[in-house]
Amino acid sequence: MSRIPLNVTSTDATLLSAVRSGDEQAMGELYERYSGIVYSVALRVLGDTGAAEDTLQDVFMKLWRNPEVFDENRGSLAGWLAVITRNRAIDALRRRRPESDIDDVVVSVEPDMVRGADWNRTLEKIRGTLAGMPSSQRSALEMAYFEGLTHTEIAQKTGDALGTIKTRIRAGLKILRNALNP
Amino acid sequence: MSAHEQFADDLSLYAIGALEGDERRTLEEHLQQCPACRQELEKLRGDVALLALSVSGPKPPSRSHERLMAAIRKEPRRIPVTAARKSWWRPVEWALAAAVVIVIFLLARRNGDLRQTVSSLEATISGQQEKLMQAQQLVASLASPDSEHFTLVANNTPPQPQGKVIYSRKTGALVFLANNMPKLPPQKAYELWLIPQRGAPIPAGVFKPDARGSATVIEPPLPSGVEAKTFAITLEPEEGSSAPTSQALMVGVQS
Repeated sequence: MSRIPLNVTSTDATLLSAVRSGDEQAMGELYERYSGIVYSVALRVLGDTGAAEDTLQDVFMKLWRNPEVFDENRGSLAGWLAVITRNRAIDALRRRRPESDIDDVVVSVEPDMVRGADWNRTLEKIRGTLAGMPSSQRSALEMAYFEGLTHTEIAQKTGDALGTIKTRIRAGLKILRNALNP
Repeated sequence: MSAHEQFADDLSLYAIGALEGDERRTLEEHLQQCPACRQELEKLRGDVALLALSVSGPKPPSRSHERLMAAIRKEPRRIPVTAARKSWWRPVEWALAAAVVIVIFLLARRNGDLRQTVSSLEATISGQQEKLMQAQQLVASLASPDSEHFTLVANNTPPQPQGKVIYSRKTGALVFLANNMPKLPPQKAYELWLIPQRGAPIPAGVFKPDARGSATVIEPPLPSGVEAKTFAITLEPEEGSSAPTSQALMVGVQS
């Protein structure tokens, strides 16, 4: 089999295709690209470096063992990794068994957007948008996403009505979307 | 908006992982049947992913990289999909390869035949070109101004205008040579006519004799296959006519 030359300019799709052929070097390049995101998300959820390292290992081994589970035609690898990491980390946080179908998620984020030249500006925009939200709205999103709380748990924790929590989360996601697609 | 409004709140909660209980089950049942809501869910998950992507933190320690690469080396990836396809695919590959070899062989043979045909055609063409060149040289020397023309007549007879037509009905080829032609009036020319067995005279070339009264017409445009009863010469305007406008000055006698 001819080996595809891989380097920093290779697209995620090229690297993934090499990984599917068992190319360890391509896996190393994907790790270089996305271990920062995966580790940050895991650490944000778990708040513990050892547990975050375990999740990092878990997520990349999953990609190595079964790269077909990610469909590059339907979203970006970075987005998928971030979502999978969050789900794994929440499972670890709650000491749940990993849900078998939880990795079969499709995440609509532009492929390679995260590596594009505009990514830093986009990132600033997302952080700025989150910072600009009312704190009740931001914390509803964060409790749901990074703490893995259900809407009932959030309502109990904050003392707000269930409907209010639902509305806050829906509106918060809409604000995020609109910030990137004005 | 193609997704269902009554599920809009729950879709957002589901995307962020915060929907539970009956509401979750109801939504999942609906998602099974509603492509529009599934599509909206994908978009919402994209929005949720932005939350994850916005997180900043320290880089993982370098030992994580080593740990991963060591684990990967212990688990070399098998490639079952490719192997399975091979066993099914192989006979087809062999058949295709054999077909390609046969086609190449046939094409090579055909190529050889074509080469032979081409070289024999080239030999024929070069022979014909040589003959054509000889004919052109002959005509050129006959028509050349420095060629000398002698017309033999009975003693003491003054020189008479004379024309000679050599005509091939089959090919429509014609050569005409004239001597002792009288000097032309201004803005006039002689015109040679092919008089067919039936029908109107056909123009066969306009000519002006030189100072010695000599003239030639070589290969005028003529239709092939016309049987000539005779040829005639008339006096016409300089540019020639499509039908004779005067009485024939000279008429041919077949020899």
